Amino acid sequence: MILWLGLGAGLVTGLGWSRWRGHPYRSPTLVYLWLVFLGFLPQFFVIYLGNNRFTFPDWLVALSIIISQLILLIFAWLNRHLPGMPILIAGLVLNLAVMIANGGFMPINPNTAERIVGTERIASFEFGNRIGFKDILLPATETRLEWLADRFLPPVWLPYQVAFSLGDIFIALGAFGILAYQKSST
Amino acid sequence: MKNNLPKLYLLGTKINRQHLQLIWTIIALALLVLGIGAPTDGGGASG
Repeated sequence: MILWLGLGAGLVTGLGWSRWRGHPYRSPTLVYLWLVFLGFLPQFFVIYLGNNRFTFPDWLVALSIIISQLILLIFAWLNRHLPGMPILIAGLVLNLAVMIANGGFMPINPNTAERIVGTERIASFEFGNRIGFKDILLPATETRLEWLADRFLPPVWLPYQVAFSLGDIFIALGAFGILAYQKSST
Repeated sequence: MKNNLPKLYLLGTKINRQHLQLIWTIIALALLVLGIGAPTDGGGASG
């Protein structure tokens, strides 16, 4: 996943950088850490816990995602002094904008979704059905802010296929920057 | 040797605190990107 790649690469780069400079790795100092856990909680309950994402009504899931992202936006804003955080905030705002504009879910068009779930499975989906954890199947023509939707794909030859948005790219870059940057010891 | 013990203890607590801070930071950042990101690999797809 693109987000884990950003985090992992950032940590490895930061560790390598600090080792090269001969000082211990300094992890970024995040403030109001409790806000992350509070912010993630609504998503945890409606998406990641058991079968809740299939049993809870769409409006409740969408509302929980938006509330969750707004709390996480506050947390990110309070930590905006960290290198990389402004890029991450930009990604967050882009994702939030397209999700709010499309009923609380990240839109994905059938052509993109086909690469992810396969030709046979996509036939069983209807427009408006949810795909994955936060996505909703929508034709590009009926998608608001389509350029911010999950529309990017890795090369076909890669065994792992994932659809991601412009916001996701910014988030991954921001996460990379936060963990990779090592303040000068002077 | 006796004088070094408090220093060693201090170093130990410092390392532990630094490691703990790193672990918390990574957990927090992982939850943050998981919460605000929205890529899909089809996991949990329902049709």
